[in-house]
Amino acid sequence: MASDGARKQFWKRSNSKVPGSIQHVYGAQHPPFDPLSHGTPGKAAPPAPATPLKAKRPSTFQEFESSTSDAWDAGEDEDELLAMAAESLNTEVVMETAHRVLRNHSQRQERPPPREAPQPRAEPALAPAPGGDLRLVKSVSESHTPCPAESASDTVPLQRSRSLPHSAAGALGGTSDPSTLGSSASSDREASRLDKFRQLITGPHTDLEELRKLSWSGIPKAVRPITWKLLSGYLPANADRRPATLQRKQTEYFAFIERYYDSRNDEAHQDTFRQIHIDIPRMSPEALLLQPGVTEIFERILFIWAIRHPASGYVQMKVRMLEELVSRIDEHVHRHLERHEVRYLQFAFRWMNNLLTRELPLRCAVRLWDTYQAEPEGFSRFHLYVCAAFLLSWRKEILEEGDFQELLLFLQNLPTAHWGDGDVSLLLAEAYRLKFAFADAPSHYKK
Amino acid sequence: MAKQYDVLFRLLLIGDSGVGKTCLLCRFTDNEFHSSHISTIGVDFKMKTIEVDGIKVRIQIWDTAGQERYQTITKQYYRRAQGIFLVYDISSERSYQHIMKWVSDVDEYAPEGVQKILIGNKADEEQKRQVGREQGQQLAKEYGMDFYETSACTNLNIKESFTRLTELVLQAHRKELDGVRTRASNEMALAELEEDESKPEGPANSSKTCWC
Repeated sequence: MASDGARKQFWKRSNSKVPGSIQHVYGAQHPPFDPLSHGTPGKAAPPAPATPLKAKRPSTFQEFESSTSDAWDAGEDEDELLAMAAESLNTEVVMETAHRVLRNHSQRQERPPPREAPQPRAEPALAPAPGGDLRLVKSVSESHTPCPAESASDTVPLQRSRSLPHSAAGALGGTSDPSTLGSSASSDREASRLDKFRQLITGPHTDLEELRKLSWSGIPKAVRPITWKLLSGYLPANADRRPATLQRKQTEYFAFIERYYDSRNDEAHQDTFRQIHIDIPRMSPEALLLQPGVTEIFERILFIWAIRHPASGYVQMKVRMLEELVSRIDEHVHRHLERHEVRYLQFAFRWMNNLLTRELPLRCAVRLWDTYQAEPEGFSRFHLYVCAAFLLSWRKEILEEGDFQELLLFLQNLPTAHWGDGDVSLLLAEAYRLKFAFADAPSHYKK
Repeated sequence: MAKQYDVLFRLLLIGDSGVGKTCLLCRFTDNEFHSSHISTIGVDFKMKTIEVDGIKVRIQIWDTAGQERYQTITKQYYRRAQGIFLVYDISSERSYQHIMKWVSDVDEYAPEGVQKILIGNKADEEQKRQVGREQGQQLAKEYGMDFYETSACTNLNIKESFTRLTELVLQAHRKELDGVRTRASNEMALAELEEDESKPEGPANSSKTCWC
């Protein structure tokens, strides 16, 4: 069984490509991409982004900036672009652009053939092959860009670009669910959703409740970065205050870097830093972002986070909560696992520790997190219901398997490689139902 | 159910983060190697059946995360192991130094009589070598362990070391094993003889009638 290809952990294929662009989430687009000069639909209309806020940054970070701005650009571009849209752009212009992109988008019926360099942007994986052939574009080298500003791509020619096809069109198109693509009805729906997001975001005061409601069913890629920032409280609802807040937070972060980052080789912190160093290259199923500059960004972020947030032991507690919840929801499955000596900790530890990013393709995890942002206590409580729903979605397979080893292999390698937005939506709907039915159920319901 | 194996053993892989435990295991069970492996979270599980000395041995291999922060989890798996791989990376002096700490964890948490074997992995990285082969041999001798330098990358000594540890476990349980041999159709597996009462993980007295 261990050699069964179907059981192979998809996330361990380090070079696998997963359809759908995700880099905006990380704000680490690389190499620098100027939407104007590339004439990419959807980014053409707004004025050139990126400079105003950066110019305001303290000069002490100039060096940092110059070495990393390439990697940050796209993510910030988008925010700044939106911020500027709020400040100075006629909304109509934005909308017109969006519509143009969506028209363009809806005309794409098929996945464009993988394109070789020198195009700095891969075509969007708009319609990945059914069955989610993760390796479809695996070997296509899109990362050797001719962009002179980016020397890193020469030194690290692998992974990133081919795992992260960028597409402004795909981004504006919203969901990457293959099943919704090519359908003009769903394109219209997506366009109208995007309109609603944009209206909320670009208004003078974003109604966060509305934004949450809207986000529950998924956030279009184009507005995901700013929406996550708004929902997580990183940026204020008041649009006027956003640029100043952003600048303050960035200044704060860079101050942390100045304050702490030099201590990474100190006795007290060197273990932490060494571990981060070891982990980054093997952080992601899809081998993200491995240019030196990007690696460094991750190192800094994780290091600052680690030393400011001492380890917490809540994971085991959450596994126990999941176990209790499952026992209330589906005693049959619970007993079956118990009978075969499968411990929740053996499979669900990772679910809690990594919030399902190891169990789902990254595009799905990102979609899942849209809803976590929208749900009150999404990452803490709602996640439990999602995990329960996730486990029980394999009810049939679990009950049919009567061998500990096969059960555990199955639960540690759930076959989700082909999952898309549709699967996540179903999962979320079921989790919501469970929450409704079981959240406040008194514990005496428990056997 | 067709008889798939005669005995069942639980083996454990431990050692510092990044020494290649998962790679060793993947090479052994799937004959695959990925140079940039994703880090293990908690404990992963694989199994394989091999034949040693005419006996079909099903080995369950528990692949632990090397990171300090998971050790409250991973230590729970020591207790039911019958064989343990202690793995360091020949290109990391530090991982070699830490073997001492891993051994003391084994002494503390694993059952008495657990079989141990020392592995110096990444033997293909000769130009980055920080730990001499004789250092590995010396350390293994001190602890009374067998020693292999392995490479998951070039498939050096992988099968050999897994087979060797399995043999050692078999030898250590020769008595029970003779029972299994003489009662070929006996449903009792060695693993069951090893059960203790409290078990935080793993299959124990399965209600299934047959481990065989």
